Amino acid sequence: MKARPITTVKTVVTGIEEAGAGTKLFTLADPDQWDLPPFKPGAHIDLHLPNGLVRTYSLCNEPADNARYVIAVKREAEGRGGSRALHDDVGVGDVIGVSLPRGGLEPDARVARYVFVAGGIGVTPFLSMARHFQRTAQADVTLHLVVREEMPLAAHLSSLIEAGTVVVHRTSREGRPDLAELVGDPNPETMVGCCGPESMIEDFERVTAAWPAARVHVERFVAPPPIIDPDAKPFTLSLARSGGEIHVRAGQTMLAALKEGGIDIATSCCGGICGACKVGWIEGKPVHRDRVLSPYERERYLMVCVAGSDSERLVLDL
Amino acid sequence: MLDTVNAAPAQGAAQLGWTGVVRFLHLAPRAFLPMRAAETLTLVAGRGIEGDRYMIGNEEGFYSHKPEEGRQVTLFELETLVALKRDFGIELGPEEHRRNVTVEGVPLNHLVGRRFWLGETLLEATRLSVPCRHIEEITGKAIFDPLINRSGLNCKIRQGGIVKVGDTVRNAA
Repeated sequence: MKARPITTVKTVVTGIEEAGAGTKLFTLADPDQWDLPPFKPGAHIDLHLPNGLVRTYSLCNEPADNARYVIAVKREAEGRGGSRALHDDVGVGDVIGVSLPRGGLEPDARVARYVFVAGGIGVTPFLSMARHFQRTAQADVTLHLVVREEMPLAAHLSSLIEAGTVVVHRTSREGRPDLAELVGDPNPETMVGCCGPESMIEDFERVTAAWPAARVHVERFVAPPPIIDPDAKPFTLSLARSGGEIHVRAGQTMLAALKEGGIDIATSCCGGICGACKVGWIEGKPVHRDRVLSPYERERYLMVCVAGSDSERLVLDL
Repeated sequence: MLDTVNAAPAQGAAQLGWTGVVRFLHLAPRAFLPMRAAETLTLVAGRGIEGDRYMIGNEEGFYSHKPEEGRQVTLFELETLVALKRDFGIELGPEEHRRNVTVEGVPLNHLVGRRFWLGETLLEATRLSVPCRHIEEITGKAIFDPLINRSGLNCKIRQGGIVKVGDTVRNAA
């Protein structure tokens, strides 16, 4: 019997391929070749690496190819360790847990043309999108790939380059391209996107400032801070029995904060109706939000999956 | 009073009862993976469905860390999928609710604590299923609230066998 809940999709590394410019392609699949959870073009997944690191990578295969997840990883010797672990320690046959895919582009029938600008390995999310639109022929796609000299994933890009979908700009020969020229003027039928180093994204945001926000898609290597309810405030949980203190970030659930703090709470629905995560409270002003406790019960208990706090400090019977 | 629903026979010409049919069968070997449609499922008495994540001894499901004898097979009403579309405009396919058996014409909510035949297999309903946020995470559809009180039935398998799409579902009273 497993004591710990299963929180990741179990995958096996079925292929590792050198892809040029210090980049390797990793193919992950279900151990029994079952379809994997579906994803949108340009989506990304978290990899839970054997050394305990959790790192996010874009999927570069297309959604129709849902029996595998393909990620391209550039080895960053001076990085935080995720790419080194993948390049140096992970082999075919290794088991890696991954998150459900997140993000990506919701194809919009009103968009007839996509213009993407990618810097180096920032090509990965757009590779998935370009393949998707090339196959479905739903829209025209141009992907401008800006590299210094050597191109990552050259073998995988060659057919897209031949088709004119991918245009390569080598800064060592031509200098940096004019992003305003690549992007063109705002057009309701055109969507533009960018992924690359922060300086490129800043330039891109400057030249697309006049575009409607819904027609501009930016992918950052480092995830932006999560969108938080502007009224949400952080608070502190004091644990009366164990004596500990747990900090709950603005917008975080009490349950997530307690779990981060190593406190194991039984849960089931995580939506405030099943009653599994009922915890006693002693002092403070809880905001209940559940649909299971009676007014009388709320005087002593709260449901940690949905409850918040109106006071800076909330004392729990834990 | 209220300990059972059929304490007295119906008067006059009224015929109490129901008969239903198996419309879809689905299983998945591990948590989070898409459910795959099957023409038949093999139910093993006291354990679960061959190849499914909640088969006792397999324990690969999202809730497997919380063992429950009554989760050997789960059922869902086709009528709920129709109601979700009619009342909330949400199209939820039979592969998306993540229960194993989609039935039509079976009043699942009335069967808690009762035994019934699913094709050649005999099930005993242990409790109503409850919706969970996990299914919203997987499907990306806001179905938690609309599924309250109609998200299916958890059952123990009393007599195993092979269940096929099109099999009859009937009371074993």
